[in-house]
Amino acid sequence: MKIHLDPRTKLYFLLLANLLLFFHVDTKTEVMLTILFFIPFFFSERRKTGIGFGVVYVILLAVEYGMVFLGQSVLQNFVSMVLVGIRMIFPCLITGAYAFSTTGIGEFVCALRRMGITEKVIVPCMVVIRFFPTVKEDYRQIKNAMALRGIAVGNFALLRHPAQSLEYILIPLLMNANNVAQDLSVAALTKGIGIKGKHTSMVQIRMKALDLGYMILCSLPFVLFLGGK
Amino acid sequence: MNKQLITEDKKLKIPDLISIGVYTAVYFVMVTIATFGSNLLLPGFSYVFLPAVSALISGCIYMLMAAKVPKFGAITIMGTVVGLFLFSSGHFVLSLIAGVLCSLLADLIGKATAYKNKLWILASYLVFSFGLMGPVLPLWFMKDTYIAKLEARGKDAAYIEGVFANINQGTFVIAVVSILICAVLGGVFGQKMMRKHFEKAGIVS
Repeated sequence: MKIHLDPRTKLYFLLLANLLLFFHVDTKTEVMLTILFFIPFFFSERRKTGIGFGVVYVILLAVEYGMVFLGQSVLQNFVSMVLVGIRMIFPCLITGAYAFSTTGIGEFVCALRRMGITEKVIVPCMVVIRFFPTVKEDYRQIKNAMALRGIAVGNFALLRHPAQSLEYILIPLLMNANNVAQDLSVAALTKGIGIKGKHTSMVQIRMKALDLGYMILCSLPFVLFLGGK
Repeated sequence: MNKQLITEDKKLKIPDLISIGVYTAVYFVMVTIATFGSNLLLPGFSYVFLPAVSALISGCIYMLMAAKVPKFGAITIMGTVVGLFLFSSGHFVLSLIAGVLCSLLADLIGKATAYKNKLWILASYLVFSFGLMGPVLPLWFMKDTYIAKLEARGKDAAYIEGVFANINQGTFVIAVVSILICAVLGGVFGQKMMRKHFEKAGIVS
């Protein structure tokens, strides 16, 4: 069974995960909320990502609790703090991964428009998402061209001359970015991006009862924690 | 007609927005690389060096954008979009706020000399680089929580203070100083690249 949540609900999860950091919640609340954040993963196409995150989270919890029995040393404290740190940003990571991997561009843009964000931010956002695959492809081509000329061949060759590598990769990338920006502008203007007034959207987003219900459910542990203080 | 073209030129138009988007995408890739890079430098505390590493390698992009889109708002939009993406990919909400504030300030500095003066653009890049401090901030929240946990387990306060005295101030100073140094290096490198490649190719004048 697949459930599709509204982008704004995902945004709410993100905010909630951030609040977890702000309010120094106890482990019980944190674990409860994290489990709630995990559940949507299993009703989306990203089940594997969810399982992966879940396993790591359980390991982190287990190791941290296991550490207590090892006694107290500076090293133990340090490692344990790193672990706690990683675990604490985990709710953010999970909700972020969920929001990022299950939201389409159309949906994302539609949600931004609904929230009244200016077109001046939305257009660059769209371009950024559109441009990532191009960067990847360009990088591959540049690496090939470099290899042809015998520059930076081998595993760690790029790291041996960092400044040179940066120049040889970034400059062609930016040169091409310039051209792509022009092409995209022409393409987008023909498609009517410059038209004034309200734009319609192929994708429609709606807050459903499920969205609201889940938002309330996720807020519960948090409210209970703040209330119990 | 000519006059109208000039006045309109100050506003951001669609082609400008698309250029900003393209540069932002490359910048975001750089930030991602910086995240991995600083992870290798210091696993677990990678966020401390994230802004510095990213400032070191993104100078070219910033300089190119300042030259190609010398209008107020361009830099602010870049910082905002990066902050938005950082936030929605699970970073701390302060990365959005810091991104917007720092880039706005950087934009104002650039605007003061109409994005022409090399030194001021460099200064603006410096300020812009602090925008990535946002992801660093959870470290401090983390520390508080961890101290609370230690106290709950019955460790005494003096011991805890001793453990964290260095981590607290040390990291902050290191983060700030490393950003300052790296932003200057990255910015100067970027300006050198501008002269060497883009001006020659006639992309910017």
